[in-house]
Amino acid sequence: MIRRSTVCLAVAIAAVCLPGLSGCAKADVASQTSLTVTGSTTVLPIAEVAAEDFQAANPGKRVLVAGVGSSAGIESVANGTSDIGTSSRDLKPEEKSLGLIDTKIALDAIAVIVNPSNPVSGLTKAQVSDIFQGKITNWKQVGGPDLEIGLVNRDEASGTREAFSKFVLGTSDFDPTAAVLPGTGQVRSVVAQAAGAVGYISLGFVDSTVKALAVDGIPADEKTVADGTYPLWRTLHFFTKGEPKGLVRAYIDFVLSDKIQNTVVRDAGFLPITEGGK
Amino acid sequence: MSDSHDPRTGEPIPEMCADDKATMAAPNPPSDSGLSTISKATYFKEAALKNLFLVCACVAVAGVGLIFLFVGLKGWPIFAKVGIGEFLTGAKWYPTKGFFGILPLIVNSLLAMAGALVLGAPLAIGTAVFLSEVASPKVRELVRPAVELLAGIPSVVYGFFGLVLLRPIIAQLFGGLGFGLFTVWLILAVMILPTIAALTEDALRSVPEGIREASYAMGATKWQTIWRVLLPAAKIGIIDAIILGMGRAIGETMAVVMVAGNARVIPDGIFKPFLTLTTVIVMDMPYASGDHRTALFGVAIILFIISMLFVASIRVISRFGKGMS
Repeated sequence: MIRRSTVCLAVAIAAVCLPGLSGCAKADVASQTSLTVTGSTTVLPIAEVAAEDFQAANPGKRVLVAGVGSSAGIESVANGTSDIGTSSRDLKPEEKSLGLIDTKIALDAIAVIVNPSNPVSGLTKAQVSDIFQGKITNWKQVGGPDLEIGLVNRDEASGTREAFSKFVLGTSDFDPTAAVLPGTGQVRSVVAQAAGAVGYISLGFVDSTVKALAVDGIPADEKTVADGTYPLWRTLHFFTKGEPKGLVRAYIDFVLSDKIQNTVVRDAGFLPITEGGK
Repeated sequence: MSDSHDPRTGEPIPEMCADDKATMAAPNPPSDSGLSTISKATYFKEAALKNLFLVCACVAVAGVGLIFLFVGLKGWPIFAKVGIGEFLTGAKWYPTKGFFGILPLIVNSLLAMAGALVLGAPLAIGTAVFLSEVASPKVRELVRPAVELLAGIPSVVYGFFGLVLLRPIIAQLFGGLGFGLFTVWLILAVMILPTIAALTEDALRSVPEGIREASYAMGATKWQTIWRVLLPAAKIGIIDAIILGMGRAIGETMAVVMVAGNARVIPDGIFKPFLTLTTVIVMDMPYASGDHRTALFGVAIILFIISMLFVASIRVISRFGKGMS
């Protein structure tokens, strides 16, 4: 017991100290040899891998990337502590007046996934909402077999959960009896192994082990996301204070280049921004 | 205990224990007087060693003290804010929405522990009886390392095993997702087995051989001897073993978090996801801030108190047992 408490303490100390570490990333903002990118953890895989490639292509330049959440990223770019604030959501009304310039860098769709053995192939948005609120508890209520629905939710730290909640549930709460799993991969593997399960993950992570449901009759694929008809999609953003210049401009252009868009962005499970219809 | 004495005779034993490796490699010349059996150098070495061990012991005590202080200081404000009664008996744990009731977590932890005990304790005691009373020395040398090895497997490996192998099987057999009390019980039962088995075996072995012989001499069979004589005689030791097993079960985190499913409610079935006192810390710590983080330290305080209660009860029971015999 004592040893376990020590481990908890270590975790606790690490958790307390980490926000402090990200604070260190403020250095050298003015100098154009270093660039600070903070914000969304969803965008982190893109920003980080792109930063490594950017540094390799531009010796002597440093790009510091930190994942602190979309809101904190927007806050830090607004008050000048970082050069780019990354976000997996749009600006809130109260953030519109901060003078931030939005550069859209990728598209992310959220797929509602079920076990491949489940004959249900599509749901309405209202049905999805009722299922995740726990109002619909059996697949037969939505035209499927007599099988209990096994809800798989993400943890509250998840940007995907936040986006899904906003798209589908609005102001309602998730069913608290749902299983809560800490990662996209776990959600996918659990849904792949349980006949009655339903969950949601980034479209980029959907593979043959699970089935993505059509929502409101529109299948979830790159085409419907690109033309904007699939309802559950969002844009990932880079926000800058004023028009990006110099090194900031160079890094953003690098992220938007075909090379990064078609490799890094796709590898991270997102869609290139150029695929977007809007 | 400043200088070494033979424990049996009380005589100083300068040659055997008082020398350490350094003096063995380059022995000191005997002291001039020829009368003193312990040289000055040896005396100082003894004193240094004594203090070294004292420091070792102090580190352990200081570790417990510091952790308790730190967790206490960090967690205390939540009791002041929501009230200790509300914290312990509130039925809703939803810190991001301002609900700080850990009753479901306490109930779930107790449920997980109780089930693991029901499954694991008989298995462990059976194993101990087998090792101590039934098995031939050859078989014993095969079984005991296997049981001990169970204790050596890291808990995250148990959890991974449970998540990847056990959970899908349970999902297939009983429906649902495979997360839940049942899965946790199976994993925890195996995890507490070596703890309970090893201590129960010790307790059985410490029953004097004469008692066994007396039982057989009275015409008792092996089963009667085990059931009527040995187990009652080793009762206190077995209860201690079970309490230690309880401590391990309620404190287990990594294995549980992977197969429990982490729903913040008291589950309405043994195949439904649930969250415990330990796993809530793992799940919520990455993103908790403000009161939420404080509440997690509050949960840690509760865990600390539970574990202290276990340790205290072992002490009380042992003392009680000594008074009896």
